[in-house]
Amino acid sequence: MSRIPVTILTGFLGAGKTTLLNRILGEKHGLRIAVIENEFGEIGIDHELVINAEEELFEMNNGCICCTVRGDLIRILGNLMKRRDKFDHILIETTGLADPGPVVQTFFVDEELREQTVVNGVVTVVDAHHFSRHVGETHEAEEQVAFADVIILNKCDLATPGELEATELRIRAINALAVIHHTTRAEIDIKKVLEVGGFNLDRATEINPHFLDAHGHHHHHHSDISSVGIEAEGECDGKKLNDWISKLVRDQGQDIFRMKGIFAVKGQADRVVFQGVHMLIDAASGGPWAGRPRKNSLVFIGRKLDREALTSGFRSCLS
Amino acid sequence: MKSPGSITAGDHLLDLKWNPEGTRLLVTPATGPVLVTDEAAALLEELPGHGMGNGSSAWFAGEPVTCGYDGKIHFGSREWKPGRGMIEHVRTSPDGSLLAAGQGKTLHIFDAAGSDEQSLRDLPTVVSDFAWNPKSPAEIATAGAGGAVLWRLGEKEPFARFDWGGASLQVRWSNDGRWLATADQTPSVHVYDIPKDTPLKMEGFESKVRALAFSTDGKRLATAGSPVVTVWPCASSKGPDGARPIQVDGSESEVQALDFSPVTGQLATGDGKGTLLVVTFEKGQFRRKRVRLDSGISTLAWHPSKPLMAVGHESGSVILLSLEA
Repeated sequence: MSRIPVTILTGFLGAGKTTLLNRILGEKHGLRIAVIENEFGEIGIDHELVINAEEELFEMNNGCICCTVRGDLIRILGNLMKRRDKFDHILIETTGLADPGPVVQTFFVDEELREQTVVNGVVTVVDAHHFSRHVGETHEAEEQVAFADVIILNKCDLATPGELEATELRIRAINALAVIHHTTRAEIDIKKVLEVGGFNLDRATEINPHFLDAHGHHHHHHSDISSVGIEAEGECDGKKLNDWISKLVRDQGQDIFRMKGIFAVKGQADRVVFQGVHMLIDAASGGPWAGRPRKNSLVFIGRKLDREALTSGFRSCLS
Repeated sequence: MKSPGSITAGDHLLDLKWNPEGTRLLVTPATGPVLVTDEAAALLEELPGHGMGNGSSAWFAGEPVTCGYDGKIHFGSREWKPGRGMIEHVRTSPDGSLLAAGQGKTLHIFDAAGSDEQSLRDLPTVVSDFAWNPKSPAEIATAGAGGAVLWRLGEKEPFARFDWGGASLQVRWSNDGRWLATADQTPSVHVYDIPKDTPLKMEGFESKVRALAFSTDGKRLATAGSPVVTVWPCASSKGPDGARPIQVDGSESEVQALDFSPVTGQLATGDGKGTLLVVTFEKGQFRRKRVRLDSGISTLAWHPSKPLMAVGHESGSVILLSLEA
């Protein structure tokens, strides 16, 4: 059974989420897309493809892993999967003030959802003109950027070239991995929103930790959220790597928003790809190296990240 | 077993409800029209569906009530839209005078005229499910994040809390009024002895518990959560605490539907591969009759006054089965 792709759409109040949603629902792209809208959503449940749900957060304590998930999503998606006429895609809109973490974590912890859906990625809409102000006012705006696989830098027509450059630098300092698209009135090819592949380990793309060096190092950055990239030649000891990551997420999982890695593990011919959100991690074969150099690449996005400690911790896993 | 009738709805069967007299059956699929049939499953009426998805249905003041993801309640020919969000369940009070509907952090309480003055609003969490106290039409329990909360209509504060810290997907109140049971997102069931204010926790299920049911006399609680149904004794002063439950095997995959007959006391269980078990309890033992049906069983409903059950399938079909010789 093929799994239904899910895209999580987030963004601060007024950034242009509703404009983008209306565009997705209105365009003739040939896809049947179900939209799960938050309680403040503006599209309205009279639209035939929209479900309006109040966010129902609860703590899920499963042994050593404790995380917050969305109960309403578990029930709605469970019911959507029962339908005879399945959707091609599901889009979940979060409120402007929501931390995307619980939405993403829901797909890691619920077995039924893991079997039947696949999170394609987190798309964050950012107001190019007001982002600096939003970041100064609340931590949610930064967290939404930190979680993103794709950032739609919207309202570019309202920002000066200097503002645009400053906003993009600030975004890069928080999240070195996300793809950034510049838009006005959320005009964008829908494929760039829906076909992200950010959480799909089968389609893991190359991770380039050096991206940080080019974009983030020399920028004065007020936030305590940042990205840390690590690259190392050689092979990892699988057990040491597993122990290190397990301890890391146990001790610092609350501060780590996203982790992505591609590893060369001793004794394994294929690449090992890895994803994590807070305390939840997932690893799988990433297919053959196919002529690429066997090396390890790892990126963390989170709060209060200690670059030196992370680098030395990872290096201790090399065999 | 004989089959006095069958009918097919347009989608996966979510819910089956007999009216109190047992003369009408409300057939609710996941999407599309809700069907009203007679006692032999012959179609009487098609009611409009609720857009992206239907919720569970009920009988209220002699008429069918449906709800769904469009945030609407259809009550006979009337339509109520009490708020924006989806409505997953409607349930009638034991005396038939009130209808409850959960919508976000509101539990609407309607009378037949549509007044909702007794509604519980601005609750601390979203209401994932709720259950009336069969012994008192003025008491209702809500389930959600944190556990379950027990309310008396007209009072602003709950009269009891069953906070166990996690999330409950379903809540059921035993007919004798003594027990409240929740099926949880984690593989567990929590049971609350209300008069004694004593909570119990059952673990060890293979997955989250998708179905649970009390027997009509309140002396047994059946729980799913694996292909083996566990039946907990609730009659003694300690209830299931320390007691050995009955394990009913014979299903081929996870059990998705459970219901006790109000007439014979038998338990019917249905699994995802179409295995129907009818379990008879005798002096601490049980015997079961096993029937293999065509597709996964998603819901079950015993007739209120006859040894007859409606079996709903993932395929959308409903078959009536009679146990009468």
